[in-house]
Amino acid sequence: MGAGRGGQLSLYSLVKSLADNKQLLGMRYAEWCIAAPTLEADIAAAAMGLDDIGHSRVLYGSLRELGTPDGAADDAGDYANVPYLDRPWTEWAEFVAANAVLDTAFTLMIEALANGNVEVLRSRLKKMLQEERYHFLHGRSWMHETTAGAAVERAWRESLEWFGPENGDVDELHREGPLAHGVRDLRRLLEDRLGGRPPEAAIDWSRWEPIRRRTQAGGIDQATLDMLQGLAEKRYMPASSG
Amino acid sequence: MRYTRVHADVREYDVFARKTRVEPLHQVGSVVAPDDDLAMAYARATYDEERWIEMMIVPKAAIISLWAPGGADS
Repeated sequence: MGAGRGGQLSLYSLVKSLADNKQLLGMRYAEWCIAAPTLEADIAAAAMGLDDIGHSRVLYGSLRELGTPDGAADDAGDYANVPYLDRPWTEWAEFVAANAVLDTAFTLMIEALANGNVEVLRSRLKKMLQEERYHFLHGRSWMHETTAGAAVERAWRESLEWFGPENGDVDELHREGPLAHGVRDLRRLLEDRLGGRPPEAAIDWSRWEPIRRRTQAGGIDQATLDMLQGLAEKRYMPASSG
Repeated sequence: MRYTRVHADVREYDVFARKTRVEPLHQVGSVVAPDDDLAMAYARATYDEERWIEMMIVPKAAIISLWAPGGADS
């Protein structure tokens, strides 16, 4: 599937953004694998991090069958992620909100793709949904136990931004068949799963960047990019092998 | 916000699993969690290294012991 018609983005860009977010989410989970409130939560953070990094690899591996990128730039530093993942989290409440809200939003999009009409995604994405069930149970339980209201509201607002505006690319992909859900379905399903009310602050869609699926400028910092590209580990290599 | 390394109100769950249909479930470990959902997430995260075909958790409080090492009937 090539670039979308009528100025809309292609399926490639949506799946690329999903992969970018999954990779960053996995890394952020992993950063908490020795810092969570309980030993079990440490282990769960590590396991969920591995899951999400694995999911990103599957999604990146599917891109070559989904056409070509939208826009001119598509280099390694061009991450199309939600602002919530730009920087490491400093509070456990941020982990909990990402786990409960963002991870669920990404899962809903995976469900929409896995039940759409693109065979490569139908066949490769089902296992992710089995694993994501446990991410959801973990996130929801901790959300009930933790005072994470502000972080939940932020994660929820950014999830709605990431779904995009009504009658945008997601709704077009829904009409054409690659997505089983449109924007309204995704919003409603997220509300159903989280069992609360979505944030009331209106989203300024005039500031929305279609490829990066966000309204906020900026992006991941250099330290995060170095970590993702393996550059951060090179400092530990012997001088002779550098 | 500060947290201690344990939940304030938790239950212990035993984790059972098996790799093939012909073998019985056996205990592979235990987890501690404040509710069933989190216990499921912890059990899967902690014990999913092997290819189990079945896994289940049981609240330790639900197990009725008939005898055990060191008891009067053992």
